[in-house]
Amino acid sequence: MGIFTQSVTVACTTAGVPLHLGWNGRDYVLAAEPVRWYERRRWWTEEHRAERGRGAGLVDHEVWRVQVRLERARNSPLLTLDISHHLDSGRWRLVRIHDGAAVRLRESA
Amino acid sequence: MGGAPGFPHLHVASAFSAHYGVSWPGELAAAAAADGADLLACTDRDGLYGTAKHVGACLEHGLDPVVGVDLTVHWGPDHTGTGVLDSAGRVVVLARGGTGGSGYRALVRLVSAAHAHTTGGSAGGTPYVTMAELAGWAAGPHHGAPPELFVLLGPGSDVGQLMAARRYTAGRTLLRRWKAALPAGSLRVEVVCHLSPPGEKLSAAHAVKMLRAARDTRVPAVLTNAVRYATPDGAATADVLDAARALSSLEALADLQPNGQGWLKQAGPMHQVAREVCHAAGAGGAGALLEATHALADACRMDPGPDLGWGRPTVPEASVIGIDGDPVTALRQRTLTGAHARFPQLYSGSRFSSSRAGRDLEDRLEHELGIITRLGFASYFLTVAEVVRMIEEMGVRVSARGSGASSLVNHLLRISNVDPMRHELIFERFLSNDRSTLPDIDVDVESARRHDVYAAIFARFGAERTTLMSMQNGYRARGAVRDAGLALGMDAEQVDTIAKQLWRFSASSFREAMGRMPELRGFAEQVESGRAAGQQQLDLLVDLTERLDRLPRHIAMHPCGVILGDRTLLDRTPVQPSGIELPMSQFDKHDMDPMGMLKLDVLGVRMQSTIAYTLEEIERTTGERVDLERVPLDDEATFGMIRTTHTLGIFQIESPGQRELIGKLAPVEFNDLIIDISLFRPGPMQSDMVRPFLEQRHGFAAARYPHPDLEPVLAETHGVTVFHEQVLRTLDTMTGCGLAKADEFRRQIGGPQEEVVEAYFRAAALEKGYPLDVIDEVWGTLHAFGSFGFCKAHGAAFAVPTYHSAWLKTHHPEAFLAGIFEHDPGMYPRRLMIAEARRMGIPVLPVDINASTERFRLEWVPAHPELPGGPARPGRSRHPDGGRWGIRLALTSMSGLSEREVRRIVAGQPYASLADVRDRARPTRRNLERLAQLGALDCLLPPGGASRTDLVHHLELQHAGGAAGMLGEAPTGRKRTAGPRQVDGQLSLDLPDTEAAAIVPMFPAPSRDQMVRTELDLTAMDTTAHLMDSHRPYLDALGVTAAEDLLSLRSQSRVLVAGVRVATQTPPMRSGKRVVFISVDDGTGCVDASFFTEAQHETGEMLFSARLLLIEGTTRRTGPKAISLQAIRAWDLHRPEALPDPDYLDITREQWRAWLRRDRSAARSGGVREPVPWGPGARRRLVEAGAGSAPDAGAPRDIPHHDTGDWPVRVRGAVGLPPESSATGGDRRGRGLQGAGVRELDIHRPVPVPHPETWELLPTPEE
Repeated sequence: MGIFTQSVTVACTTAGVPLHLGWNGRDYVLAAEPVRWYERRRWWTEEHRAERGRGAGLVDHEVWRVQVRLERARNSPLLTLDISHHLDSGRWRLVRIHDGAAVRLRESA
Repeated sequence: MGGAPGFPHLHVASAFSAHYGVSWPGELAAAAAADGADLLACTDRDGLYGTAKHVGACLEHGLDPVVGVDLTVHWGPDHTGTGVLDSAGRVVVLARGGTGGSGYRALVRLVSAAHAHTTGGSAGGTPYVTMAELAGWAAGPHHGAPPELFVLLGPGSDVGQLMAARRYTAGRTLLRRWKAALPAGSLRVEVVCHLSPPGEKLSAAHAVKMLRAARDTRVPAVLTNAVRYATPDGAATADVLDAARALSSLEALADLQPNGQGWLKQAGPMHQVAREVCHAAGAGGAGALLEATHALADACRMDPGPDLGWGRPTVPEASVIGIDGDPVTALRQRTLTGAHARFPQLYSGSRFSSSRAGRDLEDRLEHELGIITRLGFASYFLTVAEVVRMIEEMGVRVSARGSGASSLVNHLLRISNVDPMRHELIFERFLSNDRSTLPDIDVDVESARRHDVYAAIFARFGAERTTLMSMQNGYRARGAVRDAGLALGMDAEQVDTIAKQLWRFSASSFREAMGRMPELRGFAEQVESGRAAGQQQLDLLVDLTERLDRLPRHIAMHPCGVILGDRTLLDRTPVQPSGIELPMSQFDKHDMDPMGMLKLDVLGVRMQSTIAYTLEEIERTTGERVDLERVPLDDEATFGMIRTTHTLGIFQIESPGQRELIGKLAPVEFNDLIIDISLFRPGPMQSDMVRPFLEQRHGFAAARYPHPDLEPVLAETHGVTVFHEQVLRTLDTMTGCGLAKADEFRRQIGGPQEEVVEAYFRAAALEKGYPLDVIDEVWGTLHAFGSFGFCKAHGAAFAVPTYHSAWLKTHHPEAFLAGIFEHDPGMYPRRLMIAEARRMGIPVLPVDINASTERFRLEWVPAHPELPGGPARPGRSRHPDGGRWGIRLALTSMSGLSEREVRRIVAGQPYASLADVRDRARPTRRNLERLAQLGALDCLLPPGGASRTDLVHHLELQHAGGAAGMLGEAPTGRKRTAGPRQVDGQLSLDLPDTEAAAIVPMFPAPSRDQMVRTELDLTAMDTTAHLMDSHRPYLDALGVTAAEDLLSLRSQSRVLVAGVRVATQTPPMRSGKRVVFISVDDGTGCVDASFFTEAQHETGEMLFSARLLLIEGTTRRTGPKAISLQAIRAWDLHRPEALPDPDYLDITREQWRAWLRRDRSAARSGGVREPVPWGPGARRRLVEAGAGSAPDAGAPRDIPHHDTGDWPVRVRGAVGLPPESSATGGDRRGRGLQGAGVRELDIHRPVPVPHPETWELLPTPEE
């Protein structure tokens, strides 16, 4: 076991839509409109508690699929990333990297 | 759409969608209102279960209600086997509003039609409607009229499923078919987007396809969120419900919701969803979608009065009750006729006597009729009278219970048998001008005839005017733990063990309970160690259990409610099969008043059946016909028997607490029974009435009246306020407010309006010249009394069967106990009543193939019978020849024997041989063996030949195939029955039983212990000997005291007792702490032991689970004939490793003495503090608390009572009531109960019967 996801920093618009991305010490910008969904978690194996009144974020988490390129190199290839937003901590993590046809799935811890 | 107009949610499942919805209607309405919505729909699955609550909640929050249902549709009539293609999936159906009821009527009829395809119960099939039914009910009244129903075709429909499977063309074709099948204008496409991942159902793409299909087929699309919970927090609860519904673990569940977005989203997020979906569909802005949604919502707004008949009582038409003309005149005539019958000396049939009593009677009658007429309830009284008349005509015992006994009109109409004049009952307690809802008249009938009575009511009033009421069964702690464990995929046995340790606390406070309840100590430690080891399962189990608390699980027939209405009843309530032949409403008792329905409580009371059976047996055996109505109410022998406290089996006074109270109160007359029953309620206990009453009754203290004016009011209870009636009269006397107002005040005391009442009371009493200290004292009493306590009319109505059953037990004990065995009326297991018969010296005869029938019958036992249970005790025989009546156990007492087998056995009696039994009774092999094991075939064995054991072996061998050549594969005797049958009734008595005679005697007869074990296994009764007898050697060595010997001991003696648990009770106590009362039976009688905090800690896990207990305790003499035990600790007799050694009493004597000294000094100083026993539990706590740094360190934590939830606290009326509240959050503790609901509760709910907390308060009379 281990942590398969990587932390990313994300700057959002006031509406909560991602705008900038910091990953592996590099800055990325969005190149297309991002897509957002809510993805289920297997909370009964991942969580220690599920008490009443815990609020959002137990059963699902927000995932954005973003197409980004390096901010400093406008001609760099497009990268498609899935990043998840954990509501309770406010942190963002990278969960999947799509390159071309193959999708490298990275399990969330 | 600026500001916050709110989003009109049109697809919302409430918690009343069993195993589906999470949030209560009140929570949903509050959330919608908070978002600025002005309407909200409730669309429960398969029924209108939450509709009435939803409408009530909407009215409370200023919303317009929309009502609908979430239903399965089939394209055609169900061809079994072709199912899949046929199904059209689930759709939402909404009723059109503002129609004067026609939209709602169509919805109700549609739901009833869906359930007409089922037969009730879990195996009765799932409800659905056919497309033809749906189209039929959706259609407007005439061509061109708007439809009555709207159908929302969403993701759960067949169209939605095709879209999710990306079969767009097929979906569009199917959508066109829907459009063609339904009336013009009734179809909508329901667009739902839960923002699930691309490719999954309820994703944006899924919604887009639905929206496009709607556009292509020109069907208006509306937006919903398919809501299952009010807030995001409810999503996890919904997951658990999905698992429970599928009987699966979450891990294995294929059909989980894709995510947790099915909550009641605010307008902002909903508009955002609308924009995203419309944008992706290329439909431009979201305006059209939202507009269509608002337009549909507007068309469905319900006007509760005209559309639903909200709050308008409806009773059967006059012609149906059997009157023509004015019901008021008819009621007057019938009451006058009744007056002549009941009081011939006061009313001659034309005029009232001029005596004082005659004038009182006339005044009272006019007073009541006046109020009934003003309220327009004459038809209601006539209806109830008609029902009672019909029941009496059937020859079924019937009596009214409850406050209905306060009414003279009820007495004259024969609804109630209690004379309200004689017992000074107040009509206003039952009905007054200030009440606009129909009063409750509850009728008790024989339980065994209840279904007959229901059928007769249906026949009498017509199936269109009658239906049974239903009730919602919610999750309680044990069920919640089991389903939460299932969802987590835990081992079923482990979950079961945990479930059994839970005792009556609300599941919502599971985690809190773990810290406080000794019986959960082991579990709490497991959770702790699991957490340390990184296993979260038990922690989650606790959280999920709390989430499930009180959510409705299923609907069931209410035990007594029958709804009567006019011929439009079935337009106003949907009905479904009930499990018995008759239909039941989807509404429960809380829905009756708001939905304008008349409910009659026809309660089956086992004691009434017991009494009826007793009377039959008396007549059958002696020819004597006993008319209980003529039995005088002052029989000294009966009261003498009651005062011995041997009251097991007697109505209302058999519980441990009541036996103690009876011992203290020592009733001498009928009114004492009314007082006794009334005292034994939470209210009187709470406001400390019991102790002063008993002290003053026995002359320990002089009766005291706050003011001479109150003496006539309080004299019968020696100055103590016991009855509601006394509260009313006190208020009236001191303020002159009138009795109707006084009853209203009484209801407000203890509620939020109490201050207003207090201000009025003080001002008005001051004005009438009462001194301030009197006012203070009286208000103190009224305040403590609260709005509960007891209505004397209830007590009087209860006291009648109490007295009758006591009279029967005194004068016809054998027949009465036969009745008790037959109908099992009380709180105790039947085996305790067997022990009671043994104690009374009544022979209990075992099951016998030739003598037993389908009933428990009296049988003459001649002198010196060879009874397995030993001879009757000397001195009890009442007949010169030494014989007496015994009770023969019924064949039905053996489990596993079917009704048909019993009937065949009885029809074939008597039997001369085994072959004869096989031939004519034709029991299954297994049952033949069981009968042999029980000794029911002993009568067929040749004297001196084979034993019962030999016979059992013989049969087992035969059935195992040893005699296969003779019997072949067929069940016992089948081969022979296949041959020429004997003529029915022809007996083969002369033939010797060659088969039995041929069995070679090899084994001895079973020992007594073996026989008892077999009896317990097969009949749950120990008939031959008492269950405890097998433990006798150990118990004797230990020096255990028998129950019958306790009475001769001094108070404060230290004893060990042992017995079988027969009752466990945790009544609300004044201190708010939990005290556990456990009664055990050791064959010589019952011992009632109280476990206070420390004893509960000492006893631990087995407190609620052990069946055979050894209890150490100190005797407490509580009355001349009563003694009970204050427990120190208890052991489980089935865990020999934990049991004390035989010298236990000797080696711990010094410790006990030290303990007793502390106990006494504690009692002297504080009076409230409990003694602290020694023992492993106390030692452990000392260690935990830091090695006894302070004297209090070892004191155990208090255990709060499960109903009051905290301590110290006054027990409010809300005892045990599930207030409609959250499963998803919010504080529900301490939420009181408003208004009048309290009163019904303490009658209908099986409350743990309270126990007078008089242990440390009463002076103890020493002999």
